[in-house]
Amino acid sequence: MAAAGPSVFLLMVNGQVESAQFPEYDDLYCKYCFVYGQDWAPTAGLEEGISQITSKSQDVRRALVWNFPIDVTFKSTNPYGWPQIVLSVYGPDVFGNDVVRGYGAVHVPFSPGRHKRTIPMFVPESTSKLQKFTSWFMGRRPEYTDPKVVAQGEGREGKAWAQWLSLCLWLRS
Amino acid sequence: MAEVHVIGQIMGATGFSESSLFCKWGVHTGAAWKLLSGVREGQTQVDTPQVGDMAYWSHPIDLHFATKGLQGWPRLHLQVWSQDSFGRCQLAGYGFCHVPSSPGTHRLDCPTWRPLGSWREQLARAFVGGGPQLLHGDAIYSGADRYRLHTAAGGLVHLELGLLLRHFDRYGVEC
Repeated sequence: MAAAGPSVFLLMVNGQVESAQFPEYDDLYCKYCFVYGQDWAPTAGLEEGISQITSKSQDVRRALVWNFPIDVTFKSTNPYGWPQIVLSVYGPDVFGNDVVRGYGAVHVPFSPGRHKRTIPMFVPESTSKLQKFTSWFMGRRPEYTDPKVVAQGEGREGKAWAQWLSLCLWLRS
Repeated sequence: MAEVHVIGQIMGATGFSESSLFCKWGVHTGAAWKLLSGVREGQTQVDTPQVGDMAYWSHPIDLHFATKGLQGWPRLHLQVWSQDSFGRCQLAGYGFCHVPSSPGTHRLDCPTWRPLGSWREQLARAFVGGGPQLLHGDAIYSGADRYRLHTAAGGLVHLELGLLLRHFDRYGVEC
């Protein structure tokens, strides 16, 4: 059983981005991508995706449901850099521009089996009131050029976020 | 050498009277431990809750240690600060918790405390802000000189940490 070199293990993740709760917004779509360390590589499946646009249901639940599949397999030699799934949710503002409604990230579960994760979503907030007003008016909210930044630990100080709501994820690993 | 992977998140905090909170965290280990990958300390973003009263950070932690001994098992120490609209920072609480020692995913709630000063300092803190802080961060995770402090409770910091252990059985350690 002793291996001469580093041993490779596979991590298979399948699941779905099930639904979201955003009390104030409607007509939303979400994008997912995976962030992982240098020792990891995807071997099968899609590591990025964009969902459909969903509207709140007319019934009393007012649910926003995507039921968006995630199916990816990683291989690695080292648990460091365990993959995280980064989700970004976008929707139209009152002027019709597509603006970001939230970012969130969570590690893929470590133990095999079925896991449900509800993750909070954040929106970067402008620090000055004037900038908040101009960005609301112009439809250009503060947005990350690369959403993968959300999954990193370094460089978070000095940024202010307002937290809006939760997104529900089912993952099986 | 035995290896320990700590992978998880500082999820957020509840129970603090201030909003707009951020957390400075660090990991302290004994002399036999060596950090192979990951950053040993960091700071989260400032979070202002819009819905509910929990401040969410979702700050990822990914550490890989190698060790020759069990003494000095890693301890995570936290400092929660609040930032007001003028950009000034005020201490909201100190806390620490040991990294769990059994493999798997663990949900931890870390209680926090903050030093109380004299009645004058408490009055000043209520009106102007500020308040006493520790000069050396060691008192957060060590019990040595704690008897000198008079503190008040802060809120709770919620963490979810997953632990993977490797090669401990070679050294006769059962986990």
